Amino acid sequence: MLSRRAVLSGLASASSFAGASWADAGAPSHITAAQERDQTFSLCGLRQDGGLAFRIPLPGRGHAAAAHPGMPEVVAFARRPGRYGIVLDCIDGHVIQQIEAPPGRHFFGHGAFSADGTHLFTTENAYETGEGKIGVWSRSKEYVRAGEFASGGIGPHEIIRIPGTERLAIANGGIRTHPATGREKLNLDTMRPNLSIVSQDGRILDVAEVPEDSRQNSLRHIAALPNGLVACAFQWQGDTYDAPSLLALSVNGGALSYVDLPTALHRAMTGYAGSVAFTAGGQRIGITSPRGGVLGIVDAHGSAVDIVHQPDICGIAPSATGMIATDGLGGVVGITNTFTRLSTHPVAFDNHLVRIEQQGTLGT
Amino acid sequence: MMRQFLAAALFTVVPAVGSADIATAVDTHVIPGFQAFAEATAVLDQAASDSCATDDIAEAYHNAFDAWLGVSHLTFGPIEDMGLTLSFAFWPDPKDQTGKTLNRLIADEDPVALEPSAYAEVSVAAQGFFALERTLFDTGSDSEYLCALTRAITSTLSANAAAVNAAWGTYAETVKSAGQEGNDRFRSPEEAQRALYTSLSTGLEFVHDQRLARPLGTFDRPRPRRAEARRSGRSLQNVAVSLAALRNLAVALGDSQVPEAEAAFDSALGRASQLDDPVFEGVADPAGRLRVEALQLQVRAAQIAVANEIGARYGISAGFNALDGD
Repeated sequence: MLSRRAVLSGLASASSFAGASWADAGAPSHITAAQERDQTFSLCGLRQDGGLAFRIPLPGRGHAAAAHPGMPEVVAFARRPGRYGIVLDCIDGHVIQQIEAPPGRHFFGHGAFSADGTHLFTTENAYETGEGKIGVWSRSKEYVRAGEFASGGIGPHEIIRIPGTERLAIANGGIRTHPATGREKLNLDTMRPNLSIVSQDGRILDVAEVPEDSRQNSLRHIAALPNGLVACAFQWQGDTYDAPSLLALSVNGGALSYVDLPTALHRAMTGYAGSVAFTAGGQRIGITSPRGGVLGIVDAHGSAVDIVHQPDICGIAPSATGMIATDGLGGVVGITNTFTRLSTHPVAFDNHLVRIEQQGTLGT
Repeated sequence: MMRQFLAAALFTVVPAVGSADIATAVDTHVIPGFQAFAEATAVLDQAASDSCATDDIAEAYHNAFDAWLGVSHLTFGPIEDMGLTLSFAFWPDPKDQTGKTLNRLIADEDPVALEPSAYAEVSVAAQGFFALERTLFDTGSDSEYLCALTRAITSTLSANAAAVNAAWGTYAETVKSAGQEGNDRFRSPEEAQRALYTSLSTGLEFVHDQRLARPLGTFDRPRPRRAEARRSGRSLQNVAVSLAALRNLAVALGDSQVPEAEAAFDSALGRASQLDDPVFEGVADPAGRLRVEALQLQVRAAQIAVANEIGARYGISAGFNALDGD
């Protein structure tokens, strides 16, 4: 799908920015959607120190965003079952264009760019059949719909590119929904979530299913390292206090192995993980539960390092020094060996915090 | 008279300056709550060391459990720092980890129970009120080992409660000095307000979503055996005592200006006192179920009132992410 021509045209398009870079947008290191005090919605660029680099209005509640690997451009997605994605220039905040889900599809709220930045991938629901789809959009052609392929399951939620590679990891949550019934879950008795690893042209390379005895553990959010290690964060659909672990690891889509979290952390999460991230070097994993108001830090072997209670904490992403997390009360916290409140803004930060990859630092 | 009234009315609309609400909540709710908890668990431990007969300990058990419910929602601070939340109360427990762990200890006559100072190291599922409830009300035996187990549980409970109470002595100042130079834990009064408000809102949520919703189950599948502390017959009492404590915190945080919340708490407490269904057995029958659901609705009303009257004033729209669920 990504022909040599597409790559070249992508490069041509990139050059038209004449050297504009993330630094021009007040050097944001992360982006996140938010709700303002007046109940309107926005997309915020955050700096490494927790300061606000920019704030751009959104027409409705956002969810997550995809940051272009080299340009000051992000695509912010509507909250499920939204149909819009907004391409924003983060230098001056102007909307470059809007993309809209095709008929019979809605977005799940996450997306990812190809390694070369020429294509955008979006998780979508083909809701009449219930099939999970990945929409492919050509950035070089004003984000025209370039095609789609199967996500490898039902209810694909987060999609990421494994850093430094041309492989995509997809969290197929397993839950069938239809916009006519909102977020009602239509197949809890038969659901079977999985992690699918696909090539950028849609070939399924590996599938790791959630084990039969925990089939109601909905895989929603993922993070990955260049070596293919994928951290998986789950939302349990059964009795809260009967939940299996909400964190598992997989190497490149190989069998999922649950991380045995300490009881205090596991129970505090109340069956619900909101986001997951690795530190840049991969030494640690951060997993959040806004329902439990708790953040767990575990090392790569799955041993708990720290448990931090913070109301409505959800967004988490790697930073230069460790990780950064955000909460629904406007808090931005830095996580290194300690846990430091960096700033508090008069907004509610939405579910996800996305680190901006700078060109030249891909895969690091 | 009229002028006085007007003056009073004017004062009430002036926003609270400083953090009087924080000091009030700490001094009138938190500190007395933990003191009462430490005292009641010490009495319980003494009762258990005097006699192992359930009849002799029951009153102290119920008093201590009530005292725990007076503070169980205050999970931030010392309890969290010492990792003791679950060691006081391990519930809900759908896998019956408490029963399994105790049975294992009993079957092995594990000597850990003979050395109360070591008992803090056993699984938290075998500690605290729910383990004690089993040894007192559920085993139908009165072996020597069981007696040792009861004493190990009350002794650990009492020691932990004393430690938490002692730690609150200094932690209270940390909370009250929120925002002052050198306070790294609470960098602004708002952070302390949030910690207290979160205790209130999650405490109410626990009453609604766990203490009431678990036994209710669904109409087609009511689950009376999932009622909290049903073995000692205190499922409803836990709801009532917990609501009374949360009402006290709401009034303190709201500077006594929370009429909607007070009314909602009073309605809920009124319903609870009239329910006459101590372990929610009624959930299995349509009429009885309706009455428990009505209580649950009143708790929901209190949750909404607290959000409107306190959360909104603090600028906290609780659960932006927690409620989104995506």
